[in-house]
Amino acid sequence: MKGCSSLPPETASQLPPTDSAHRFDLLRTPMIGPFLQWRKSRMTLQALVFIVSVIMAAHAFWGPQLAPKNLGALLTWVHFRGLVVLAVLLAGNFFCMACPFMLPREIARKFFTPRWNWPRRLRNKYPAIALFVGVLFAYELFDLWGDPWWTGVLIVAYFAAALAVDAVFRRASFCKYVCPVGQFNFLGSTMSPLEVAVRDPDTCTRCSTKDCIRGRRFDVEYERPSTANADALPIIQRGCELALFQPRKVGNLDCTFCLDCVYACPHDNVGLLARLPGETLAEGRSRSGIGSLNDRSDWTVLIIVFVFGALLNAFAMTSPVYVVEQTIAQYTGLTVEWPILGMLFFAVLIVEPFVLLAAAAVCARLASKRTDTVWSIINRFTRSLVPLGFGVWLAHYGFHFFTGALTVVPVTQHAARSLVGWSVLGAPQWQLGGLPESVVYPIELGFLGLGLLGSLLVAWRLAADFAPLRTLQAFAPWACLNTVLFASACWILTQPMDMRGTFLGG
Amino acid sequence: MRGTGVGLGYSPSKFPGVSLFLLGLMGLVGGCQRAEQPAVKAEIQVEIEPSPPKVGQADLAIKLTDGAGQPLSVGALEVEGNMNHAGMKPVFTTLREAEPGQYVGTIEFTMGGDWFLLLTGQLADGRQIDEKVDVPGVQRP
Repeated sequence: MKGCSSLPPETASQLPPTDSAHRFDLLRTPMIGPFLQWRKSRMTLQALVFIVSVIMAAHAFWGPQLAPKNLGALLTWVHFRGLVVLAVLLAGNFFCMACPFMLPREIARKFFTPRWNWPRRLRNKYPAIALFVGVLFAYELFDLWGDPWWTGVLIVAYFAAALAVDAVFRRASFCKYVCPVGQFNFLGSTMSPLEVAVRDPDTCTRCSTKDCIRGRRFDVEYERPSTANADALPIIQRGCELALFQPRKVGNLDCTFCLDCVYACPHDNVGLLARLPGETLAEGRSRSGIGSLNDRSDWTVLIIVFVFGALLNAFAMTSPVYVVEQTIAQYTGLTVEWPILGMLFFAVLIVEPFVLLAAAAVCARLASKRTDTVWSIINRFTRSLVPLGFGVWLAHYGFHFFTGALTVVPVTQHAARSLVGWSVLGAPQWQLGGLPESVVYPIELGFLGLGLLGSLLVAWRLAADFAPLRTLQAFAPWACLNTVLFASACWILTQPMDMRGTFLGG
Repeated sequence: MRGTGVGLGYSPSKFPGVSLFLLGLMGLVGGCQRAEQPAVKAEIQVEIEPSPPKVGQADLAIKLTDGAGQPLSVGALEVEGNMNHAGMKPVFTTLREAEPGQYVGTIEFTMGGDWFLLLTGQLADGRQIDEKVDVPGVQRP
C-alpha cells in the first residue's frame, strides 16, 4: 500500500484497542456522509452560519433594543446556546465544525501566511480559562441576555479576536488556546456519542506518511500529491491544526470536527464513529496533543470553571442571588456591582471548588490509604464532574431553548417588517413561544439526572483505576460531592428566574 | 409602583468603531427604516395587584399624565408584557379608560422574574404614546 511501512512493534502495541469495524460511522451514512466528506462542506456550513451571524450583529446594533424582540440577543442567548448543547449531546462538536469565526480567518489565510508559533508559555488552557471567566462575568455585569447592543459587541469582538490571533500565529492557535466557546465544546463533547477516530488501527500502524497530522503537499514537478518529505511544497490538504495525531487521539478533547484528518488520510481510514458518551473521561493514558489529563492542571482548572461556572451561571439568573448581592452590598457598603459580582465569582469559582474538591480528595486519600498528593487526586478525579456540569448547562440552556424556540418566528417577522416597511413575512405571530415551563422542568431534571449518573460512573472507573483494592472507599467521597452538586443544581432550577436586572436598583 | 418611562425606538450605536465594521449593513437597514411618529413623553404611575406582583392574573391600573400633570386620554391603552430575557412569549392586554388618564384592566404574568410593559396609545390629536415600564421581581406563588 502506498505510503505505508511497518512501525516498530512497541509503537503498534500503544494503539488503543478498538472494534471500529462494527461501530456506526456517520461518514458511511447516505446523504450526510457524502456531504461531510465533500471538502467544501465545512466552508459551506461556516458561510451559512456567518450570514446568520452578520444578521444577528446588524440587528443587535440597529434593531430594537429590547432583547425579546432582537435577533442578536434572541439567537445568541436562546437558540445558539441551546442548539450547541443539544448538538453536542446528540451528535458531537458540530458547532466548531460550522464555526463562523473561522471563515474570515480562512479567507484571510489565502492571502497571507502567519509567521509565528503560539508562545510556548501560553500553550495551555489558561488564556482560554481567563476568557471563559471573563465572558461569564461580562454576561452578568452587563446583563447581556437582556442587552442587544452589548451582545452585538461580543459577536464582533469574537470575530475580531479570532481573526487577529490566527493572522499572527500559525495553525489553529485561537481554537486550541484562546476560544472559550471551543473549550466549552471540547469538554461538552466528551459526552457526545460520536468522535473523529481511526477505523482500523492496523492501517495506521503500517502508515509512514502521517498525513492526518502533517497534511499533504503538492509536488509541482510531478503534478501529484507528494509523499516525500518536502516541507517547502504547497499544502493541498492540511493535517490536524490542533496537533491531534489520529492513532494516538483519545476522545473529543481539542477536536473541532474540522475533518481535515479525514480529507488528509490517503487510506480513507478516519471516520465519525460511535462511542460510549463519557467513556474517555476515565482514560488516564497519554493523549495525542494533550498528554495525560492526570498531569494537566490547566485542564483541571478548565473543568472546575466549566462545572462550577454552570452552577453560577444558572444561579445568577435566580432570585436568591439578588438577596446574596444585596447582603454583600449592605455589609461592605459597596454601591457598584462589579466588585460585588467579583466576590461572588471568587466564592463560587475558587473558594467553593477548593473546599469541596480538597475535602473529597483528602477523604479519598485517607479511605484508600494512598500516598498521592491532594492536588494529584484532584487532577485525577475532577474529570468525574464533567457529565454533571454538562447536565447543568443542558438544563439551563435547554430551558431557554425549549420554552422559547418558536419566538424566532415573530421576531424575524417583526425585523423584516421594520426593515422593508411592510409585513413581507406576514404579521408577527407573537403567540408562538415554545414548550410550557411545566413540561420543560421534568426535561431539565432528566438532564441533571443523566449527568449525575454519568459522573458517578466516571468516578467509579477512576476510583477503580486509582485504588483497585479499595475502590468503594475512593469512590464514596466523589459520589458524595457529585450528589451535593446535583442537589444544588436541582434547587437552582426551582428558583424564579431572572432577577438580576433589578440589582442595586439598576 | 412608579415606573420611569423609557422611549422606544431604535438606538444608535454607542461607539463609531463598531459601526464602521458593519457600515454596509447600516446603509441597508437604516435606509429602509420607517419614519417613527413623534411620541409624547408621559409620566406614568403603575399599580399592580397583588403587590409585589405574582405569577398569574394581576389587576393593572395605569395613570398617564403629561409634564404639566394633565391626564393623557387615549381611549384604550394597549399593553404588551414581556420579560427582559430573550426567548419569552409576550402577553397582550387592552386597558379601558376608567376616567381621563386612568386605565384599568388585567394582565397575566406567565413566569417569575423581571418583566416590562410596553404601553401604546394614540391621543386625539394623533400623537403617539410609546412607553416602557419595568416590572421587576414577579414572584412565583
